[in-house]
Amino acid sequence: MSTLLTHDEAALRDAAALAVELAVKRGATARASAQHEGRARIAVRGGDVETAERSGTQGLGLTVFHEGRRGAASTASFDRTSIERVVDEAMMIAAHVQPDPDAGLPPAAMLAFAGPSPELYADGPRDPDILLASATLMDRMASDVARTDPTLRVGESVAVATEGLWALATSDGFCRSARRSNDGRWSVMLAQDEGGSTSAFCQSQERRVEALTPPEQLVRAAAQRARTGLGARPVASRRCPVLFDPRTGVSLVSDLAGALTGMAQFRGMTFVREPLGKAVAAGHLDLIEDPFEPLGLASGGFDSEGMAGSTRHILRGGVVEGLFLSSFSSRKLGMASTGNADGFYNLRLTSSAPGGDFAAMLRMLGTGLVVTEFQGGKTDPATGNWTQAIRGLWVERGEVVHAVTDVTLAGQLPAMLNGIRAVGHDVERQGAIRTGSILVDDMQVGGKA
Amino acid sequence: MNGGGIALDRARTALLGPAGLDEAAIGRALGELAGGGADLADLYFETTTMRSWQLQDGRVTQGGFSMRQGVGARAAHGGQVSFAHSADLREGALRDTVRAVRTLARHGDAGRPGQGIALNRDAGCHHLYPAIDTVDVRNAAAWITLLERIDQLAHAEDARIVRVDASVRATDTTILVAEADGLLAGDVRPMTILSMVVIAEQDGLRARGQAGLGRRAGLDGFDAASIERMVATAANMALNNLDAIPAPVGEMPVVLGPGYPGVLFHEAVGHGLEGDHHRKHLSAFDGKMGERIAASGVTVIDDGGLEGRLGSLGIDDEGTPPDRTVLVEDGVLTGLMQDRLNAGLMNARSTGNGRRQSYAHLPMPRMTNTFLANGTADPADIIASIDRGIYATEFDGGQVDIVTGRFNFTTIEAWLVEKGKLVAPVRGATLIGVGHEALRHVSMIGNDLDYDTGMATCGKQGQSLHVSVGQPTLRIDRMMVGGQAG
Repeated sequence: MSTLLTHDEAALRDAAALAVELAVKRGATARASAQHEGRARIAVRGGDVETAERSGTQGLGLTVFHEGRRGAASTASFDRTSIERVVDEAMMIAAHVQPDPDAGLPPAAMLAFAGPSPELYADGPRDPDILLASATLMDRMASDVARTDPTLRVGESVAVATEGLWALATSDGFCRSARRSNDGRWSVMLAQDEGGSTSAFCQSQERRVEALTPPEQLVRAAAQRARTGLGARPVASRRCPVLFDPRTGVSLVSDLAGALTGMAQFRGMTFVREPLGKAVAAGHLDLIEDPFEPLGLASGGFDSEGMAGSTRHILRGGVVEGLFLSSFSSRKLGMASTGNADGFYNLRLTSSAPGGDFAAMLRMLGTGLVVTEFQGGKTDPATGNWTQAIRGLWVERGEVVHAVTDVTLAGQLPAMLNGIRAVGHDVERQGAIRTGSILVDDMQVGGKA
Repeated sequence: MNGGGIALDRARTALLGPAGLDEAAIGRALGELAGGGADLADLYFETTTMRSWQLQDGRVTQGGFSMRQGVGARAAHGGQVSFAHSADLREGALRDTVRAVRTLARHGDAGRPGQGIALNRDAGCHHLYPAIDTVDVRNAAAWITLLERIDQLAHAEDARIVRVDASVRATDTTILVAEADGLLAGDVRPMTILSMVVIAEQDGLRARGQAGLGRRAGLDGFDAASIERMVATAANMALNNLDAIPAPVGEMPVVLGPGYPGVLFHEAVGHGLEGDHHRKHLSAFDGKMGERIAASGVTVIDDGGLEGRLGSLGIDDEGTPPDRTVLVEDGVLTGLMQDRLNAGLMNARSTGNGRRQSYAHLPMPRMTNTFLANGTADPADIIASIDRGIYATEFDGGQVDIVTGRFNFTTIEAWLVEKGKLVAPVRGATLIGVGHEALRHVSMIGNDLDYDTGMATCGKQGQSLHVSVGQPTLRIDRMMVGGQAG
């Protein structure tokens, strides 16, 4: 067994099945999920271990449906007494609330009793000793890099490993479980000159240790980003084209995907209303969802209602073909669940317009702003009003002129999505989303007068 | 009355009893944890129960209940911290958790039993909030009725309010801190949070408004008048935002209203004065103690002992009663917020700011209730003093980069001001600045100090906590406003 876990999948399936069984005895239909996660994390800075952590979490959540009403309760214990209490509490809540005809389990025939389960787990060395060696190695490399450049200081080097288990049981006889793993490394570097200090980080996250970005590459990227941030200054307020690098471009994709979730749609908390069949983004864009990518960070064989997702187009030629629906939100909208009760699976933004590597995208940008970091801001989901404080690069005739800070960037998401001119080939994955850098034709930059 | 013997009794019943633990067992575990020459060792036991009800579109159709418990074990050797936690509180599991810490720390022989520690000191009582049970299911009908009333009130505000979502969440947390120096302290922390979001619609345009109330109290802590104010706040925000014009862009004077806009001082001052950032020399304020960092008249205080505020704590999560720490006095940097670890390493004392999200998280220096003290100006005069600028009354959070001191926050309710008059509401805009620069541009401070309504939260290194922020109306002469109206 794993060094990080203290339960196995069978124990989790048993706990979930027991909760369902007890609820059924009370006349309800029900679903229960049990999860358990073990984690180790080591942070090293300047040759010293700063923190060494081991953690183990677990939980069981039950949702019951009784006489058209719903109740939900959860506990951190898998013992019978706690599970009985959870059943009591969930039934008691169902007795207090008003009925909701749209609540309830999905039709049993729709459940993923069998069907493909993507690989989510890879065996690997995740012992704290291994993590310590890995973080120490990165820290030593960071010190070596810092010695070659007097503007640099070493920040934290972190190695983290997680293993988790998840089981789902329903009163329709569904009972499946999954095991997943996650390995992360990140490096923080600081840079300082007479103009001030800046910090930057670079991280890698995978389900398989061997797939992680090599430590030296992480450290060098963090150092390069910190150095690039030196000498940053504002630009004057203006309208200009904007290039989101792949790490910031992800947020445009996730803002759009968030607006296409069932919850946003039926609550009207979305800037794209009744979107199916409508063009909401530039005509050269496709957005594809794939739940089954082996070792994908957002892969899964079934959602928390027991339904499978599908590999499909969300956008085709800028037109919405699919939403992210649970059985509850789909009933509210008079549609069928898409197996997205837990949100979206792996998403990939692609474009049929000419793209290129980052340098080619800079040339396409011509004169304008590259966004490398969001410092804070907000998207209003109801209106699509989009505003951010950003850090980035000022580019003229395709060449980087200087780093930029103390500026804001504002726009309306519908106009921004329709104004996308190109997507780069410099594709990166951040969690569930893959995209290259994204070139938007025209936005409002706020800076010095 | 809370803390002291009352809280210890509650902790024994809620935490220790069910796990079959007693003080002798805790003393043994602590002894082993502190073995190998730890400078600091503690155990933090926590049990939290939560109950919630949600209203959607006129009806309460969802509710939830959760319960969790666990223990976090920490040992520090100098600045090196080892930490493990477990949801299992029985003595065998506690011993395993302590051994995991010893193994991580690599100090001494992990298998060697330590000397048991006598727990002979407690932290005394406090009167900041009562040791009550807010999660009690007998309150269910009253909460549901209240949510339905909120829905009716909101729709009655204006026919353009087309959707109301509201929820109530009651949380009871009981903690017990045991430290290697013999302290055994407990606290019972009730908390109830009401929140609502409304959507207004007119001519196909939609806008959103939000509001909430948080208290360390049960149902009786929510009087009719404050509920009506909350509903009016959310409804007015949505209705105002229906008419919002694009915000202006560029550097201009900004007036910040009283209450939640005090998040400015949380971001621009507070985070940069947390002890850990100073010990690691990361803060933009590092080495500036005793120096002028703000305009005169600017006094910023962190006080964990304000009655009823969500940032208040009878004891912090390390058992230390809260201080009133003057961070900036009349423009001069005077204080840092400390937890035990960083205070110990900086030859200072803890100010009662050691806080953690849960037993599964490490404590850090964190803010409690952080506010700008009152000035003397009439708020109306402050708005009237603006030739062209922004008057912002509600924000949606904020961020700061500790290293550079750069902060930002985004308005969710603001107006364009011209010739001293409010011209029109403006769409959400991000305001940015650099802590020490913005503070020097504070030119007028009002006499209307107020606090947020109990909805303020603070995130740091992935840990989220309830805090309180506050300020009187104030004018900042120059701030960058990032709207869409170029």
